[in-house]
Amino acid sequence: MKKEFKYVGGTFPCDHGVRKVTGDLDYCCDVKLPNMLYAKLLLSPIPHGIVKKIDTSRAEKVPGVIKIFSHFNAPDKMFSTYRIIPGQQMCIADETLFAERVKYVGDRVAAVVATSFAAAREAVSLIDVEYEELPALLTPEEALNNREVKIQPRGNVAHEYVVDVGDVPSTTEDCITMESETYTQRIHHAAIEPHGCIAYYDSSGKLTIWTPTQSVYGVRTVVAELFDLKYSDVRVIKLPIGGSFGGKQEFLFEPVTSFMAMETKRPVKLILDREECIVHTRVRPEVKSRIKTTVTKSGKLLELVADSTLNAGAYSGAAPDYVTTLSQKVCKLYRIPHYRHSGRAVYTNTVRFGGSRGWGAPEIITAVEIHMDQVAKKLGMDPVEFRLQNLVHPYDMDQVLHLSLGNARVIECLTKGAEAFRWKERYNSQDKQGRYRRGVGVACGAHKNGMYGGFIDSTSMVLKMNEDGSLNLNASIHDVGCGIGTVMKIIIAEVLDIDLDLITVTEADTEYTGYDPGVYGSRVTYVVGACAKKTAELLKDQILENAALILGKPKEYLRVENGCVYTVGEAEKRVITYKEIAEKAVRENFRCLNAAYTYYSTSNPGSYSVQFAEVVVDTLTGLTSVTDFLAVSDIGRALNRGMVEGQFQGAVQMGIGYALCEEIKIDDKGRPLNNSFANYHMLTALDMPDVKVLLIEHEGDDGPFGAKSIGEISNVPTAAAVVNAVNNALGTSLSDLPVTPDKILAALAEQKKVGAC
Amino acid sequence: MLIEFKVNGKSYNLDVCPSLRLIDLLRDELGLTGTKEGCGEGECGSCTVIMDGKAVNSCLVLAPQVDGKEILTVEGLAQDGQLDLLQQKFLEHSAVECGFCTPGMLMSAKALLMKNPHPTEEEIRTAIAGNLCRCAGYSKVVAAIKAAAGSTDRSPGQVE
Ligand code: FES
Ligand code: FES
Repeated sequence: MKKEFKYVGGTFPCDHGVRKVTGDLDYCCDVKLPNMLYAKLLLSPIPHGIVKKIDTSRAEKVPGVIKIFSHFNAPDKMFSTYRIIPGQQMCIADETLFAERVKYVGDRVAAVVATSFAAAREAVSLIDVEYEELPALLTPEEALNNREVKIQPRGNVAHEYVVDVGDVPSTTEDCITMESETYTQRIHHAAIEPHGCIAYYDSSGKLTIWTPTQSVYGVRTVVAELFDLKYSDVRVIKLPIGGSFGGKQEFLFEPVTSFMAMETKRPVKLILDREECIVHTRVRPEVKSRIKTTVTKSGKLLELVADSTLNAGAYSGAAPDYVTTLSQKVCKLYRIPHYRHSGRAVYTNTVRFGGSRGWGAPEIITAVEIHMDQVAKKLGMDPVEFRLQNLVHPYDMDQVLHLSLGNARVIECLTKGAEAFRWKERYNSQDKQGRYRRGVGVACGAHKNGMYGGFIDSTSMVLKMNEDGSLNLNASIHDVGCGIGTVMKIIIAEVLDIDLDLITVTEADTEYTGYDPGVYGSRVTYVVGACAKKTAELLKDQILENAALILGKPKEYLRVENGCVYTVGEAEKRVITYKEIAEKAVRENFRCLNAAYTYYSTSNPGSYSVQFAEVVVDTLTGLTSVTDFLAVSDIGRALNRGMVEGQFQGAVQMGIGYALCEEIKIDDKGRPLNNSFANYHMLTALDMPDVKVLLIEHEGDDGPFGAKSIGEISNVPTAAAVVNAVNNALGTSLSDLPVTPDKILAALAEQKKVGAC
Repeated sequence: MLIEFKVNGKSYNLDVCPSLRLIDLLRDELGLTGTKEGCGEGECGSCTVIMDGKAVNSCLVLAPQVDGKEILTVEGLAQDGQLDLLQQKFLEHSAVECGFCTPGMLMSAKALLMKNPHPTEEEIRTAIAGNLCRCAGYSKVVAAIKAAAGSTDRSPGQVE
């Protein structure tokens, strides 16, 4: 039976939408506190060296300068910016507030705190630093081959792993093998809001931090441990965030800003400029993956052996977890009888990597999906047909993590998508001659729904109904720009059948909202949303109990509709509004309407997306334009439809950039060449095709009303679909991203040479 | 130096440093923080305001250039507590996600519609080509602007 929803699946503006369109919502850059000071960082201009001497005498003369910090006057306790919970495994404490030995261009050397931002900036430019330069290792190859230079005391390898599951089945069929290598580059998260935070340490010894973070409790853990403060004395308040995409998931500046606030006893605000965001924060890591498959001639995958090397940059951060995660994505997508994945994260003297939307999936799935097209080509099969034989089925087991994939509908995504995109027709009749060549490409992707299976995945919340019938949801919500507050309202509204406008949702604040690990692993809708649903159901029960007392009817004879409780099964129906119930509950029943719940996730199914791209490549200039795009996704259930579509469209913007033009290159002196939006190219409205979104909605898993994650999966297969389309257009096998005009022209020249021989 | 200008219909006479950028003038001197800084170098468009009818990047405009000018910022779009039609359509069409690019996007769109009330999709895309959005991929923004353009006559607070 098809369920009807009144709110779920509709389209609602994001939370604080009116304040966003009027410019009234205060982001970190807009917040001013009385007596506030401004900080500016001095970043290392060299990739590796010792900070021998710092002369601040000129800088100190700038009017307004309060204090200048460096490793000479700051604690040297090591910490990890990635740690969310105390004692967390695979978190290596290897950085200090200010570096004594700088390890990349952009490492933190010093900071000025002043009464104005202009003074801080001027003073930073007047600090003289004497460095003793050390040899720098700029690529993973250099770092692995050089035994003399150690970037971290433990060596140049942050982490290594091997995953080996299943066996190669015996077959009488003929097989082929295919080997490929794919390189995916560093990219900038490019949230339009620059990074920053504010901290204040008051006279009672309490530290308050205002920050657009993905995890207030994580900030608390790192900062409290670093400064030996009681967890309860560190209050972290989540601010509105101007985009994150993983870039604000580590606790980058809260430690150093807190330190400056503690030293000056005044509120200190640190806001980075764009160059600092690119060179000093975090990037999606560059990854090189070699893949070898054995496949029967009829197209059945027997074995996939992969090896990945990830460039971690100069510090550990999320490296051990992230690189291991690369190996956990492939078997969520394909049935592979024997799967082996070895990998390593390598330190280099380059910009640090960090968690990025999809957490390894865009990196490894790009490699896998480019490879799968090459296999299909060798087999002479349609890439769709080939994939259909090997994709996972609903309720398959993830053989690496030993978790059910739940109602995994990737096959349906591929078949429905191929139909909607007219794949067969377009794939078979392509314009492969002349200057402009048209091609189509497809790629599949998988992602997760939370942290269950290896990390705490719970959340706590309180939902209360006020005496006027309005509601407050008190929860550690971290909206990272996708409108999760509205999603919570939709869920509550659906359970209670009330207007969204009656509900207010808090954002996270460690002092007032319950424990929640934060925005990781695409867990929020699936886990926090499920908690909201359960909490709303508990409140509904309380509403009915109170209505039963007021109406003198057992609650089994009552139902809710449109903000009221009705009696059922009586000739003369009686009705009472929520407002009346809430008021009478307090006044006459001496009860309050207050539901609290702690939810523990117990599943982690797959979310899927299959994407189709059409490109036109100009063989004269090498320029590629994406002319059509379809994103099909198995997301269980859309809660806020318009926002779901928008998130896919945004993810595709990021993914096309990944495929074609975005890259942070490093020169031979270790300096990032793409350090501003003038030389770091993202797609604009003129470059973007109209991205169509097709949603496959089946319930079957534990998310609220069957909903699954979208924020990360939306970005997973995009780049591969585009690169496959370019290869289809040109008959090439490009796999070195981004596929820039230079690389395309070189591949065409090579093709000509081979053709001429 | 002394400059005289109007912001959102209000007149100002201010003594400013000639190297002051318009974005800082708006944000720090006048407290109009709706205008955002995403890059400070004319590349992201989040600081877009309308100066004498034209969309400009306020991070690239210096105080002396503002003398005698009329500026419209995102705070000036709504009139008498009523959202401008563009603002309404942005909300209805899910064109706002994190919202950081939104003020600039709105002002580029507004400048377009002030000059060209019925733009083609190509004209819309060209008008916002200088506004980067990392969240929403532009489709919803284009749809919202189209929708606002479809009924400009009924727009509350709509500029002639
Ligand atoms: S801040 Fe002005 S264009 Fe980016
Ligand atoms: S809505 Fe976030 S950058 Fe556009």
